[in-house]
Amino acid sequence: MTSGFWSMGGYARYVWPCFGFAFVVLGWNLWSARRYRAAAKARASRALAMAASEAR
Amino acid sequence: MWTWFYKLASPPYVYGVAAALVPWLLGVAALALAYGLIAGLAFAPPDYQQGDAFRMIYVHVPSALLSLTAYTVMAAASAVALIWRIKVGHAVAAASAPIGASFTILALVTGSLWGRPMWGTYWAWDPRLTSELILLFLYVGVMSLRSAFEDPARGDRAAALLAIVGVVNVPIVHFSVVWWNSLHQGATIVRIGAPKMPGSMLWPLLSMWLGFMLFYGAVLCMRLQGEVLNRERQAMWVREAIKS
Repeated sequence: MTSGFWSMGGYARYVWPCFGFAFVVLGWNLWSARRYRAAAKARASRALAMAASEAR
Repeated sequence: MWTWFYKLASPPYVYGVAAALVPWLLGVAALALAYGLIAGLAFAPPDYQQGDAFRMIYVHVPSALLSLTAYTVMAAASAVALIWRIKVGHAVAAASAPIGASFTILALVTGSLWGRPMWGTYWAWDPRLTSELILLFLYVGVMSLRSAFEDPARGDRAAALLAIVGVVNVPIVHFSVVWWNSLHQGATIVRIGAPKMPGSMLWPLLSMWLGFMLFYGAVLCMRLQGEVLNRERQAMWVREAIKS
């Protein structure tokens, strides 16, 4: 039963890379979106700090 | 009646709504994807012609539909930005492009993996495959054009124009299997009349589709927050927003 599941009726070499690549794309999207938002927050913080120091 | 539309033109409002939506969208997407994966891989019966190879549908179809949805969102946001001069529209378009491009690559790769055992080849210059490849080139073109200008406003306008012109490819991708002779099978879910699949195969597919769409919504909101901050970093409201 378990070996039948993993062999996917002889199509394992196509089915598992298909799902594996989907996980890579989902993971990349989540990671890159978080990184993009964090970088934007850091840039905005720096810009605000610079504006505050210039005001003084 | 149009109050909600005008509110969407306000960067702080959009930033707040996006921040509030992310955890909900991600949570429901995770549940939908988990159900779709388990039911699709372990409980759906094998197809009478394709055997277990048909299970690639649970990734391929949602990613292909998402590639078209993300482009339509990008083009609609670009049109809103150009017609009503709403800057948030450009931010939505810029946020949607890399997500849509990545899911177009996923649709092409998974389609290629599915094509090898079914058609005997990883690639054919078939109308559906070729128009989907053109969709990827359009995404790359829009992203490149946006970053090609020193003045970001000019880059936004040029990318918006290309996105709007390129939206003509979306119905071409969808109807290519109807308009031309194609190796690719016809529509499975998005078609007039009842879907062609039995419920035990269809429900996991619908769940995966829902999961992909909600996941897209979540990462779109996260990228949109970044886009809005990049464009508004001198504004006073940003100080409060980045503290929270």
